[in-house]
Amino acid sequence: MYRRSFKDTKSSLGSPNPNFSKPMVALRFLRALSLVRCSGPGARSPSYRARGIRRAAYACMAASAGPRRAWSRALLRKIRRRPGRGLRRPRAVIRRRRPVGGGDPLEVALRRLVPGGGCMEYCRLLEEAADYVKCLAMQVRLMQTIVDSASHVNSID
Amino acid sequence: MLRELVSPNSSALRLLLFVFLFAPESSTSAWIWGSMQPSARDMQVHGKTAASLNGIAASSDQIALPELQNGHGSQTPFDHGGSVGHDDFLDQMLSGLRSPWAELGATKSPWDAPDSEGPTAAQRIFGVGKEAEDGLPYAPFDESALLANRLRQYQISGGSSPVGKAMMLPLSHHGQQQMLATSGDSGFLPLPLTLGSCGSVDSPNSTVGDGLYNGFSGALQHTESANQHTFPHPQQGAPMLGQNFGAAPLAPGLTQAPAAAVSASASAGGGGTGPPRQKVRARRGQATDPHSIAERLRRERIAERMKALQELVPNANKTDKASMLDEIIDYVKFLQLQVKVLSMSRLGGAAAVAPLVADMSSEGQSSAGRAVCAAGGSSDSLTVTEHQVAKLMEEDMGSAMQYLQGKGLCLMPISLASAISSATSSFHRPHSSSSATLGHLHPLPNAGSCDPPSSPAASALSAHSAMANGAADAAKDTIVVSKG
Repeated sequence: MYRRSFKDTKSSLGSPNPNFSKPMVALRFLRALSLVRCSGPGARSPSYRARGIRRAAYACMAASAGPRRAWSRALLRKIRRRPGRGLRRPRAVIRRRRPVGGGDPLEVALRRLVPGGGCMEYCRLLEEAADYVKCLAMQVRLMQTIVDSASHVNSID
Repeated sequence: MLRELVSPNSSALRLLLFVFLFAPESSTSAWIWGSMQPSARDMQVHGKTAASLNGIAASSDQIALPELQNGHGSQTPFDHGGSVGHDDFLDQMLSGLRSPWAELGATKSPWDAPDSEGPTAAQRIFGVGKEAEDGLPYAPFDESALLANRLRQYQISGGSSPVGKAMMLPLSHHGQQQMLATSGDSGFLPLPLTLGSCGSVDSPNSTVGDGLYNGFSGALQHTESANQHTFPHPQQGAPMLGQNFGAAPLAPGLTQAPAAAVSASASAGGGGTGPPRQKVRARRGQATDPHSIAERLRRERIAERMKALQELVPNANKTDKASMLDEIIDYVKFLQLQVKVLSMSRLGGAAAVAPLVADMSSEGQSSAGRAVCAAGGSSDSLTVTEHQVAKLMEEDMGSAMQYLQGKGLCLMPISLASAISSATSSFHRPHSSSSATLGHLHPLPNAGSCDPPSSPAASALSAHSAMANGAADAAKDTIVVSKG
């Protein structure tokens, strides 16, 4: 279900626009949300649904950021891998360019936080981190908007 | 007041706890929060709740400092994708914070009770990864409290209190050490800044700071003894500098720093093993080496990116590299936490939104397929639909929703739609069939009769449409959102 959701979102947008297109993220997110909820609103436990929503959020964020970003690729890869795909494509992916010794705890922590941060050099890590933070902030704002308007609906009714 | 804080098992307790913790100490809470994370983990492991208590109380920073040093050195990895990592982080935050307060209550028995069930309660609260359903009613509340405080942290304007500076001090030391240990050339330029600030802070570490400052100036005279890349080599420089200040691990950092700052003749192709005393010492301004040029470029790039990163983080006024990184890391964690909380709290609003958001695939009816082409650019069908929906809404919202669902449409609040469309009104792109154009919302024409419940909030209609929404856009000024 999640696979389908972000496949849809990914295929619809051809050119990778930078992540400043907030409405595109919004659209993808809403679409992904509807797909998440289609599994049966009462069927799953709330925590399962929460995780699904969170994953949908990350997926659409990564999809709208475009494949040019290392973190979006890594994030999508991570999300895609979780439903238990046994088939690993024999793609030649150079995973570890420079395995860092990891002496600086700050740097190590940053690598862990940013998706795909294990194999980048330090300055590329910083660059990806900046992009990731921007995208995350936008996603958070978007979700906040949705929640606010949804709760507004509830309060009126 | 502490008694009622100590009384276990109430969500009000937790909220009070957080508010009490962070409200009065607005200026220092930022740094205490930031530094509590690693130390909170250590608290749990070593059980030094007293120390963490003092750390919170912000009066005795001396105790917090060694805790910080411990915590920073042994910072447990923070898992990004997995929810378990977040839960652990939150668990330990919560339990680490709660038990010191319990101890402050000066009674032993309530301390035992929260302490024993602390982790489980925390896990219950944030029971996302544990499939705990009963924990969920607590979850949005507590996590939003948690978030609110972190929000406050990010809205606090700077405020580098002396406590904060004193806490930053060992952090920066460790950070500088580690950074120098790994990448031999990053962080050299800020290191003099750190040392400068060391000297200026009158903290309990003043002796160390002064010693460092002296050591720095003293180390300037011993530059030829050290090389830029020779991390193992400071053994030559260490005995000289070790006398200036008793902190031996700081010696390699210091020897490297002035060495790099003053002498650019680092490796010259051979690198670290040659006797460094015989190398020619070039001045900083001169680039005699392609390596050094490249390294300086790299350093500049790193500094520039750090600045860019720092600008993204709100209220970042730190000049120190380590603390900047700290803030960035905290901010990323905070954003991820927010995503998590929002995805959990969305369920409350989602229950109402669920009937609103139509799903084509689950319907499996012909009407779904019809809706795609039926609602395609002609404004007539939209008007018809709108009238129909308005009529239905007069009777019963449920039937209106079902009608919409049958058509494969969704209802969206105006605020959301306008928020989304405000940035998109000039945003038209060639889309595939499952694409969207957003126009501007217009309330339903018949809204006047049935208005109060629906019009201000939920009277937006969004329809499927394949393409050619520009026509509808120009003609009717309605929002059309299509889904795949």
